[in-house]
Amino acid sequence: MEAAAHAVHDDHHGPPAANVSSRVEAQFLGMLLFIISEIMLFGAFFTAYFFIRVVGEADWPARGEELPVAIAGVNTAILLSSSFTMHWALEGARNENRRALTMGLLTTALLGLTFLTIQVNEYVHLGFSPQDNAQGTIFYGLTGLHGAHVFIGLSLLTFATIRAFRGHFTAKEHRGVEVPGIYWHFVDVMWIFVYSTLYLL
Amino acid sequence: MLNPLRSEQEAFRFLIYVAIAVAVIVGVVLLLRAVL
Repeated sequence: MEAAAHAVHDDHHGPPAANVSSRVEAQFLGMLLFIISEIMLFGAFFTAYFFIRVVGEADWPARGEELPVAIAGVNTAILLSSSFTMHWALEGARNENRRALTMGLLTTALLGLTFLTIQVNEYVHLGFSPQDNAQGTIFYGLTGLHGAHVFIGLSLLTFATIRAFRGHFTAKEHRGVEVPGIYWHFVDVMWIFVYSTLYLL
Repeated sequence: MLNPLRSEQEAFRFLIYVAIAVAVIVGVVLLLRAVL
């Protein structure tokens, strides 16, 4: 009896299992809370935008200023196409197609980098700055916040791409591509809202 | 039910739906603004 208890004790390694009080899976709950906090963060900036446009009845953009709608539209197409290459990469992982996985991830990262480069170039040539007026503050705040998210996504993609080239990920185990993929699509969804409200409406 | 947090596949599908819905809304608003 004592020997059996000892054997059970010896089999256990590491800390005791965490107490699970929620019926929702921990990873899923974590991601859900993260996305909710992100929506609130972007929501604060959108509130400021709608406040000055609807309540304050301010011009958008400010009088005498212009936003490069066409260039930002091309940039939108670039970012949206990167979601398709991301999906292609993950399908590659699922089907054990290494070429699709590596090329998909690499293309996604390059498209994301192109998006950021065009955005920085846009900032340089806009002709107004965040401190000029409320419109400038909100414009740079929202696009900058989104740009920071693209940068984080690019960092995740870089890790995934390096791992893919090193032979990581299989049809069964590809969480390292799946999670950055979900994040990347979330960043793209946010851009659709940012572009539509700041540039089109 | 579609859950974009569950898998990349569902997140991608969600993105497509959002893109279509937003394009329709923006189109309607721009059209109404031009007409009214």
